Amino acid sequence: MAAEKDNSAVLTFLRGLTLLKQGAEARVYRGEFLGKPVIVKERFRKEYRHPTLDEKLTHRRTVQEVRSVLRCRKAGISTPVVYFVDYTSHCVFLEDIVGSVTVRDHVNSAQRSETGRGGLEALAGKIGQILARMHDEDVIHGDLTTSNMLLRGRPESGEPDLVLIDFGLSYASALPEDKGVDLYVLEKAFLSTHPNTEALFDALLKSYTAASKKSSAVIGKLNEVRLRGRKRSMVG
Amino acid sequence: MLPAVSEMHQSQQLDLFPGYSVTQCLFKDVRNAAELRKSAVGGEIQGALINPSMIVDPFQIVVAANKAFHLQKVGKMKTRSLYSEVIFNLSPTNNISESFKKFGIADNDNTVLIVLIHSKEDEYYIDDIRSKIDGEQIPVELISTLSDVPKIKKLYKVTAQEDCVGTLLEAVLCRMAVKDVL
Repeated sequence: MAAEKDNSAVLTFLRGLTLLKQGAEARVYRGEFLGKPVIVKERFRKEYRHPTLDEKLTHRRTVQEVRSVLRCRKAGISTPVVYFVDYTSHCVFLEDIVGSVTVRDHVNSAQRSETGRGGLEALAGKIGQILARMHDEDVIHGDLTTSNMLLRGRPESGEPDLVLIDFGLSYASALPEDKGVDLYVLEKAFLSTHPNTEALFDALLKSYTAASKKSSAVIGKLNEVRLRGRKRSMVG
Repeated sequence: MLPAVSEMHQSQQLDLFPGYSVTQCLFKDVRNAAELRKSAVGGEIQGALINPSMIVDPFQIVVAANKAFHLQKVGKMKTRSLYSEVIFNLSPTNNISESFKKFGIADNDNTVLIVLIHSKEDEYYIDDIRSKIDGEQIPVELISTLSDVPKIKKLYKVTAQEDCVGTLLEAVLCRMAVKDVL
């Protein structure tokens, strides 16, 4: 089965790159492409799924990912540039955000130093604002964690730029329910990766509430989801 | 002394296809655009003739050429030839005739960008095509001085908000990459 895909120039090219991560869904590589530093995300075939279903799902996720990236950029939310998409081998070639740190690493190191903590409140506020803008555009990220947010230094202004990455599970939806679940996923991830940050997450939500035009319905749903968990009960 | 011609044009290797490159040559004061266009349509010129005012940066062409060559290899081109595919890939829409109108050259144009995709052995063809142009070759980097930024922004529908998150080139590249699934 591997042989029929061996003739793909893209897959041959990937073998020359550095493998960064192997997940359940995709492999992520780093390297250079046409003179630019890139990250390539390859959604590989899953042998345990029916081939037709696998192809459909993989294709749809690739499509949703690049669509969401474009939608976010149009709305003024920083995301990596999409350079090239191969819809036959399901590879997305993205801008490598050089010189960035994940919000996760930033929060961890700031929490260790007394002086760094003050800046975290402002960062939480900024995250809240950006997520509000994203949800107002009806983009649901699907996998909000502090590892999927990068801080890119901007030498001119001094204030770092927040870049959202990994739209692999994203989709378009206007439903407050979906936005509430998106925030719930972040809350869970945030509080488990960064202990004792309840106040920080509250600051994030406060800023989200102030920034989003449709926040009351979303926060209402978030409170509902907190009581029942991410999955809706099918009973009753 | 005139600068060596090799400094005038720009070649970039197509990383996905070792041995192949995309070469760009830019000309001003072109007097035979109508004739060139006819030769390209008729197949005597194996290259893409592009209106430089719609191009932000030579990298935009490199990305369009990479995609065209890739689609030719996997048999998924939307147009009839490799070079019409390069022109089509530049467009933000999936309308083929419109993309030729906007990104191809018109009979009375006096600036032309020529794009070739070739192997190492076919490099001589660059000089062959260059000799067909009645105009003055200038360095490809000067293309940004010819770009009609307001027109580009309008065609690609680049929003004011988007200017805050990146360059015009980046906005254009994203639309070129994603247009197949819009």
